[in-house]
Amino acid sequence: MPTAFPLPSDLSPATVTNTASLLRIVALSLISGAAIASRLFAVINFESIIHEFDPWFNYRATRVLAAKGFYEFWNWFDPTAWYPLGRVVGGTVYPGLMATSGVIYNFLHALNLPVDIRNICVMLAPGFSALTAWATYMFTKEMKDESAGLLAAAFIGIVPGYISRSVAGSYDNEAIAIFLLMFTFYCWIKALKLGSALFGTLAAVFYFYMVAAWGGYVFITNMIPLHGLVLILMGRFTSRLYVAYSSWYVIGTLSSMQVPFVGFQPVSTSEHMAALGVFGLLQIVAFVQLVRSHVSSKQFQDLLFVVLVTAGLFGFAAFVGLTYKGAIAPWTGRFYSLWDTGYAKKHIPIIASVSEHQPTAWPSFFMDLQFLIFLFPAGVILCFHQLRDEHVFVIIYAVMASYFAGVMVRLMLTLTPVVCVASAVAFSTLLDTYVDAAEPDDAVAPADSATPPESGATAKKPKKAAPAAPSTGSALSDLVAAAVPNKKKGIYGLDTRFAIIVNAVGMLAFFVFHCTWATASAYSSPSVVLASQNADGSQHIIDDFREAYYWLRQNTPETAVVMSWWDYGYQIAGMADRPTLVDNNTWNNTHIATVGKAMSSSEEVAYPILRKHDVDYVLVIFGGLLGYSGDDINKFLWMVRIAQGVWPEEIQEPNYFTPQGEYRVDEHASPAMKNSLMYKMSYYRFSELFGGGPSTDRVRNQQVPKVGPTLDYLDEAYTTENWIVRIYQVRSEDLLGRDLKSANAFAKGKKRKRSKPVSRRRPIL
Amino acid sequence: MHLLPLLALLSLPFARAASDDAAHKKLVALAAAGGGLIKLDAASYDLLTTPNRDWSASIQFTALDSRRRCSPCKEFEPSWSAVAKAWTKTPAVHRDTHFFATLDFDDGQTVFQKLGLQSAPVVHIHHATEGPRATGKTGVSKYDFSQGFDAEPLAQALSSHTPIRIPYSPPFDWARWTTVGAGLLTFAVLLRFIAPILQSRWTWAISTILVSLVMTSGYMFTRIRNSPWMGGDGSWIAGGFQNQFGQEVQVIAIVYGTLGFAFTMLIMVIPYQATAQRQRFQIYLWSTIIMLVYSILIVLFKVKNRGYPFRLLL
Repeated sequence: MPTAFPLPSDLSPATVTNTASLLRIVALSLISGAAIASRLFAVINFESIIHEFDPWFNYRATRVLAAKGFYEFWNWFDPTAWYPLGRVVGGTVYPGLMATSGVIYNFLHALNLPVDIRNICVMLAPGFSALTAWATYMFTKEMKDESAGLLAAAFIGIVPGYISRSVAGSYDNEAIAIFLLMFTFYCWIKALKLGSALFGTLAAVFYFYMVAAWGGYVFITNMIPLHGLVLILMGRFTSRLYVAYSSWYVIGTLSSMQVPFVGFQPVSTSEHMAALGVFGLLQIVAFVQLVRSHVSSKQFQDLLFVVLVTAGLFGFAAFVGLTYKGAIAPWTGRFYSLWDTGYAKKHIPIIASVSEHQPTAWPSFFMDLQFLIFLFPAGVILCFHQLRDEHVFVIIYAVMASYFAGVMVRLMLTLTPVVCVASAVAFSTLLDTYVDAAEPDDAVAPADSATPPESGATAKKPKKAAPAAPSTGSALSDLVAAAVPNKKKGIYGLDTRFAIIVNAVGMLAFFVFHCTWATASAYSSPSVVLASQNADGSQHIIDDFREAYYWLRQNTPETAVVMSWWDYGYQIAGMADRPTLVDNNTWNNTHIATVGKAMSSSEEVAYPILRKHDVDYVLVIFGGLLGYSGDDINKFLWMVRIAQGVWPEEIQEPNYFTPQGEYRVDEHASPAMKNSLMYKMSYYRFSELFGGGPSTDRVRNQQVPKVGPTLDYLDEAYTTENWIVRIYQVRSEDLLGRDLKSANAFAKGKKRKRSKPVSRRRPIL
Repeated sequence: MHLLPLLALLSLPFARAASDDAAHKKLVALAAAGGGLIKLDAASYDLLTTPNRDWSASIQFTALDSRRRCSPCKEFEPSWSAVAKAWTKTPAVHRDTHFFATLDFDDGQTVFQKLGLQSAPVVHIHHATEGPRATGKTGVSKYDFSQGFDAEPLAQALSSHTPIRIPYSPPFDWARWTTVGAGLLTFAVLLRFIAPILQSRWTWAISTILVSLVMTSGYMFTRIRNSPWMGGDGSWIAGGFQNQFGQEVQVIAIVYGTLGFAFTMLIMVIPYQATAQRQRFQIYLWSTIIMLVYSILIVLFKVKNRGYPFRLLL
């Protein structure tokens, strides 16, 4: 048989296998190293710090766990959150992440390695990304072979779509969840392939871990039943499916109910009903199969079929009936908004307001997945080509995940693994084909006249012919066995191989550059600390957030209640250690709306609200001086909307726009806008900075009025270096019983207008 | 003779009540004549919004005349009429305490000027100031169009101002259900003929690929955000990383599809070519296509993300 380039012929198969296995181990460890290293930009550029918002809560909870032990953590009631309501943390949290760090912490301390809990939290996500790469390798190995597995591991190790949620310091549930997701899927595929109750149980155990770690476990809860259902519909019911599914479902469901936050949801909410329904269906199908194998009568088989369909319909009707009666809770808003995309905006603005819940435009897909995004359809085609049971899984996963990723930016994270797997399958098939030294035997070619000379029509031909060919193993085993397929297949010449390989390697190299750039420039900012560049190009750190939080920590009594928009609740609790009204655990819409109302009303209306909630300090984020666009004025409309949802009479969104329908902060701003507490706190004394010149808000590019707003009920307490955080102290009531406005006016020596003689004797507030 | 003015003064409230009663009767008659909807002009507007009223009213300000070119007005009009009509079904006791009215720009320009209205449609709700339903609110509530021009949210929002809920239910959508029924029927009849197509894996493969291509090209973004098909200035690609026009979905899906197809050709078709020459030609052809289209994709991405530092051939 001709080869395109000479091959060594004196290698024993054992040598080849051993070398391949050694290379695999080396490659996997290098991939793990690359995965961890590329996530350290954040630590190198800034410092070992917890990022963003939610991680600050996780970190705070982990500190409690590490300091006081698991039992205390489990029963932890936090009176400082959601003041004055408090929060039962143990029952309203997915404890998997904190428990993982706690175990690592205790393990290291048992070895007398005194590692700080913060460093464990910061490094947890990079560490788990290495495990994710390994789990993806195992998963892809089941789809094709080891070489595809290595490619998939390398892809997921550095792909920005996953890095965006797992850089060092991003201590969030997703940090460990993607590993659990991939490993559960791997166990499921393995269980299905082998019909093994052991792997089914393993899948259930990791499913339990996933349930304990991330709300996204619902994705697994629905993916596996969907896979089972499609297999049944394709007529691929086997006892392997039965064993795998039953062991996964029973053990997984029972164990998932042990997580307090989940509780009885697996048997009482719609999200989990698909899994239960498929479980029931499988029992019926298995029963029918059993009876069928013992009975030969055609009529009886027909009868059984009817029984099967009736039972299915009956089950579905029972499900609908129970939902209607309220025994099964209908889909939660968050889940429902994935299907009816207008739902959240109409009914739950608090969900629609989160930036992670916005739909995804195409540049995000390309940014996060680069060339994988167009290699991925080719991989799905290859899955269709082989269409074993596990390929069906990848296909379903691909469709579901691409839809979900399109609806919500944050679900890009669930799309990333399948894209890596599918494109690794495609890419490694490409390399297999073009690296393989075997050339088609031209001597055979004329004899094999079955191939029509018209190449235009060949597109269909090989697809039909290919399944007839023996399933090709890895390139290496091909090489060793030198098996000649029946069908003439192969690449002629060296230059063609060279062209493809150079092209492929070039694309991989470009991918690496892209990932490095995306990680370094877009995904490694802690958002607690901001970076900008000085005129000479050196880095300038903007540290206003921590400056403000530490000011609160050191200058206010420990019981001082701080009001801010909910985004900053976790950070205030974590860094300033002060009670907050609302935080990122957005469980109480009314409480959030109360804060929204206080922020969007005039001082006179807001003051009683502040006093009733014992608020001592109000904190606003203002980016107008620096051009920081994520500030409260830009979020203000959401506060208005959320407040309007509860007080439609008092707060109305159109009032905050100019009559022309523009959102303005300059002198044309609407009266409701100008009088709102948020506007006043943001622009208080802002124009003084410009010394009489035009004072420009650099986020909205508008000139604010020269005479800024005045405050009667609040005092400016602290403003950070770049004015990003401004803290106001709420005044206590006037000692003489006047309202604060007239007291202020009196103090300034203003004479009261004669038309208002009554205000001299205002009742006490 | 000081009594007379005093008497007159005393009788004033009664007189006013009597005139209000007359006004109310007139409004009821007007509403009945208009099928639940009062068609206002400047005079009857003043009558409806008289400061002493024991009724509430919701008024639509609109400009339906085609010269005014107010397409939102026309879009909103059916919803308004439907809700007003639904209100007539309530018992008279409640019905006559809340009025639905419409004031067209051409019938009452003075009112528009007086209120400083510059755009239409606008919905004002006037609350009752006297009688059992007096709320104490003297101002005007406005309906917020943030949920579109549909009748259902309108009925829901107005219900908080009416004495009882507006019994509005959306009309049965015959067209839609007929289409669905007909589609199902056609499917059942044709099942025998299309079964081989449905059972072919390649049918499913193509639909799967199409779905994922369209979804990864940002189709859901354009659906949820109601992006325009193209820019107002004729540009088809929107600036900004988190933004896109409808047309971009197609372009990007085609780009991704071409690249994916090129790889599929390289993997699945080309190795089976009969002669070396044809194979070589195809390999170079598809490699060139990949490089070119990929370069175009990078150029497109650079338009969206100006800071992107890399480029290929172009």
